[in-house]
Amino acid sequence: MEATIEVSAVRKRFGPKVALDGMSFQVAPGQVTGFVGPNGAGKSTTMRVILALDAPDEGRALVGGQPYQRLRRPLSQVGSLLDAAALQPSRTGRNHLMWLARSQGLAAKRVDEVIGQAGLADAARRRAGGYSLGMRQRLGIAAAMLGDPPILMMDEPFNGMDPEGIVWMRGFLRSLAAQGRAILVSSHLMGELQDAADHLVIVGRGRVIADTSMRELLAAASGDRVMVRTTAPPEAVAVLRQAGATVIATDPDGLTVSGLAAGKVVAALSERAVPFSEVSAHRATLEEAYMELTRDAVEYRAAGAETAR
Amino acid sequence: MTAIVTPRRAARPGGPPGFGATVRAEWIKFRTVRGWVTGMIAAVVVTALLGLFAAGSAHIGCGGALGGPARTGAACLPAVATGPGGEAVVDSYYFVHQPLASHGSITVRITSLTGKYFPAGGPGSSAQGPAGSAPQPTAVNGLQPWSKAGIMIAASTKPGAAYAAMMVSGQHGVRMQYDYTHDTAGLAGSVSGASPRWLRLTRSGDLITGYDSADGTHWSQVGTASVAGLPSTAQAGLFATSPQYLQISNNELGGSSGSSGASQATAGFGDVRLTGAAAGRGWTGQGIDTAADADYPVQGGGYRQAGGTFTVTGSGDIAPAVPGPGSTFPTATIEDHLVGVFAGLIAVLVVAAMFFTAEYRRGLIRVTLAASPRRGQVLAAKAVVIGAVAFVAGLVAAGIVVPIGIRMTRAQGQYVMPVSLLTEVRVIVGTGALVAVAAVLALAIGAAMRRSAAAVTTAIVVIVLPYLLAMAQIVPPGAGDWLLRLTPTAGFAIQQSIPAYPQLNVPYTPNAGFYPLAPWAGFAVLCGFAALALGVAVFLLRRRDA
Amino acid sequence: MSRMLRAEWTKLRTTAGPAWLLVAAVAATVALSVLAVAATSCPAGSGCPVDTTKLSLTGVQLGQALVAILAVLVISGEYSTGMIRITFTALPRRLGVLAAKGVLVTGLVLAAGTLAVLGGLLAGRLILPGHGFSVAHGFAALSLAHGPTLRAAAGSVLYLALIGLLSLGVAAMVRDSAVAIGVILALLYLFPIVATVTSDPKWQRHLEQIGPMTAGLAIQATTGLRSLPISPWAGLGVLGAWAAGALLAGGLLLRLRDA
Repeated sequence: MEATIEVSAVRKRFGPKVALDGMSFQVAPGQVTGFVGPNGAGKSTTMRVILALDAPDEGRALVGGQPYQRLRRPLSQVGSLLDAAALQPSRTGRNHLMWLARSQGLAAKRVDEVIGQAGLADAARRRAGGYSLGMRQRLGIAAAMLGDPPILMMDEPFNGMDPEGIVWMRGFLRSLAAQGRAILVSSHLMGELQDAADHLVIVGRGRVIADTSMRELLAAASGDRVMVRTTAPPEAVAVLRQAGATVIATDPDGLTVSGLAAGKVVAALSERAVPFSEVSAHRATLEEAYMELTRDAVEYRAAGAETAR
Repeated sequence: MTAIVTPRRAARPGGPPGFGATVRAEWIKFRTVRGWVTGMIAAVVVTALLGLFAAGSAHIGCGGALGGPARTGAACLPAVATGPGGEAVVDSYYFVHQPLASHGSITVRITSLTGKYFPAGGPGSSAQGPAGSAPQPTAVNGLQPWSKAGIMIAASTKPGAAYAAMMVSGQHGVRMQYDYTHDTAGLAGSVSGASPRWLRLTRSGDLITGYDSADGTHWSQVGTASVAGLPSTAQAGLFATSPQYLQISNNELGGSSGSSGASQATAGFGDVRLTGAAAGRGWTGQGIDTAADADYPVQGGGYRQAGGTFTVTGSGDIAPAVPGPGSTFPTATIEDHLVGVFAGLIAVLVVAAMFFTAEYRRGLIRVTLAASPRRGQVLAAKAVVIGAVAFVAGLVAAGIVVPIGIRMTRAQGQYVMPVSLLTEVRVIVGTGALVAVAAVLALAIGAAMRRSAAAVTTAIVVIVLPYLLAMAQIVPPGAGDWLLRLTPTAGFAIQQSIPAYPQLNVPYTPNAGFYPLAPWAGFAVLCGFAALALGVAVFLLRRRDA
Repeated sequence: MSRMLRAEWTKLRTTAGPAWLLVAAVAATVALSVLAVAATSCPAGSGCPVDTTKLSLTGVQLGQALVAILAVLVISGEYSTGMIRITFTALPRRLGVLAAKGVLVTGLVLAAGTLAVLGGLLAGRLILPGHGFSVAHGFAALSLAHGPTLRAAAGSVLYLALIGLLSLGVAAMVRDSAVAIGVILALLYLFPIVATVTSDPKWQRHLEQIGPMTAGLAIQATTGLRSLPISPWAGLGVLGAWAAGALLAGGLLLRLRDA
């Protein structure tokens, strides 16, 4: 089975509210795909449709080329974490994993393995009702890993995790991707995904706004600007303009240079012996890139709403 | 749509929110959950529909074969006499009387009271056939416990007339009774030639006083009766009557069947003294409401006079009519139309229990208690809200179904026991109160148990199951009576419209609508359970972490 | 199927609720039977028209409520926490999940019901002879060797199992535990209550013939069979039809609705 998720032209409405409006994207193996968008953009609904919990009105979602209902041992093909709080509070974490293991014909040994993997060994025999949010997330991750699936899908897995947990989670996701698995992780906080995701599917209003690799997105948002810090701004401006760049003075000893790569900036300044303390390529944060994209979505939304009237 | 909200006094910062604010908050919580509002409306609708179904499912037929052409519906309504208080009465007896002015008295000595009865057929045949038209049943000697004979001053000889009477009875000694529903005990013991009884009634306007004596010289007053509407010329005289013979047997299925028949009582009178009678008028003997098509089994009557002694034989009863096995014609009570309350009540109990348990499902209770930290107050506010809503639901449902149901039932030819307006109001408002208190009980159970399924089951089982066990006679009648005394089901007594008169020898069974506790006493039992549950819930709420 | 059964079985035995409910169902059944038996006596010299077998099985009236809670929670408990989505993710064949739950509820209730019914009969056997229902009065001691008593006992156990299945079906339909319990107890208790006030004997009989509880409990009668509204096994069949209908509707909704 190929490790992919394909969502094609899925539409879903709940009463008068359109939740998914032609959602289409693919998740490829060997990388972490971030699934981001504002609250209410349709991320969770999409995941429920992928898991056949909700039936789409139109379109379809396939995992490994098959509809989810057809999977014989679904947890061995797709591991998922939707709502970490969805537990019977009176059951212990270990027993929660145990019934899931039984449902897939897996041995009890596997339960103890994933408990170790998720760092739950100390809490596994306590009632799940007493778990902190972070511990519930770990239990959910353990449940997702139970069948050692080639595809993993997690809805907001960073929710409620402490900084240590977030760092652990990022490393965990990267290592799973490195094993060749396809991983789809939703989040409404881009920062959480900055060092974790390789690819991004950005959604708003039930459809995909951007489907791009992390690097391309950042490059597009950063442009080709270079920051220069110097004790002799006028000389630097003259030299760089001469080299063909556009230069703006941003503060008394800082310049923003565009139209010239960082290496060439260094070469030009060094050649004329203009002193500088720093030359760096500007790197946009994921938040900036995301805000830029979703701002467009918001504008589009407002315009759409007006023409609709 | 935008409104400027000015904070109410109760919500003013500085002090803790008052009880009024908590009630308002809980009311908003209630009315904004569509399922709960729907549940309450469904309760009203189901209560009304089931009640009307029960009212509409009766098909009364009468006549045919012996009683003339077959009829159905309202044509079958029996002509039942009503007493001065508006209640249905049986007023069949033999009366030897003459007119009496507004001041006078009548005194007699009674030396004997004997009787016989006529068991009709075997079990299952309720002897509704009028005497004389069916083959003459064989007579068995014996008095009925409430066979009675004595003296009476009556407004008229019309059935249902106002009266006061002193009498000896089969097993209950001397009694003074007036206007059908009132009964006071006099001398105990039965009458015979060796121990005769002297009885006296004196009239002074509307006021009649009864006396008895064991020797004719030492008199004691038994009671007084203010008989409203007694005309200046009333009828005074001797009477005898004897109620139907009734035997009820329970069958294995929890049902019961009865056999009944007419009975007769014969009394010997002597020393008849009448003062205040019109001059020159003699005694007239008359059977009151003893026609062949009467709705009560009667078996002839008459009198003999020999010098100063009279022998009067009569059959029937002078007493209120009651529904159930003691009734000789199909009857319904106004509360029969409230059977749907059980269905509605189940919906109300579900909503009421959820009104608290839903707080625990997603941790809403923590928000609630952050807003109003006084936990007892939160429970009280919820009780006020759910109680008020349930009261309105019960009141509206009963207010719709009782008047309409009564009309439907009558239109089908079934007799509905008449009750006073006050009683009807008590039954309708009492139903609202019953539903309200039951809802508060369910709420408290929900607060104590925190789990909806367990709370709803407990509420339904303690309120509805005892009724079922007692009414469907799944447990023996004795045990059933205790269930109706000691469980929240006792509260249904508030719906009983016809009291159980002790001066009738009929089985007052729960499934005939008679509860072992008086209406308000039964309701108090339910209130006690609700208060107890609230107390336990407050205790647990305070003690437990939210 | 075996994976589903094992998963559901693991779920049932890893929370305390189901076990307690089963214990409570047995205790409640026996307790009410003991009370009913103890409250009944047959004074010397009078004919007592009492079906002693049925009397000893009175507790089923209460025990069924606990069986209903158990069956309802097996489904509604998962909906209230949202765990049903995990279940359907692990086992996307929803009808199979419902079937597995049905098999397990049936098995557990049959086991608990057998204990409860035997407890009730034992109470009758021990207490009733002292209350006038003695051999001298023409009442044989309750014994399973007596055909109708065996039928009543076995039928009562089956009755409880069918109540469990009915409850499961209703819970699958309405999902919320409080509403489900309300619907089930209304179905059970309302038919006989409405029947008692229905004045037309024909309607009364019809109500008793179609009510799941009134028809189903006809299986408990050992005397007066001719005056029953419905024959014992046919009555149990009526309850079976209710249970089948509820499961069918519940299964259909489970499949059609979003989890």
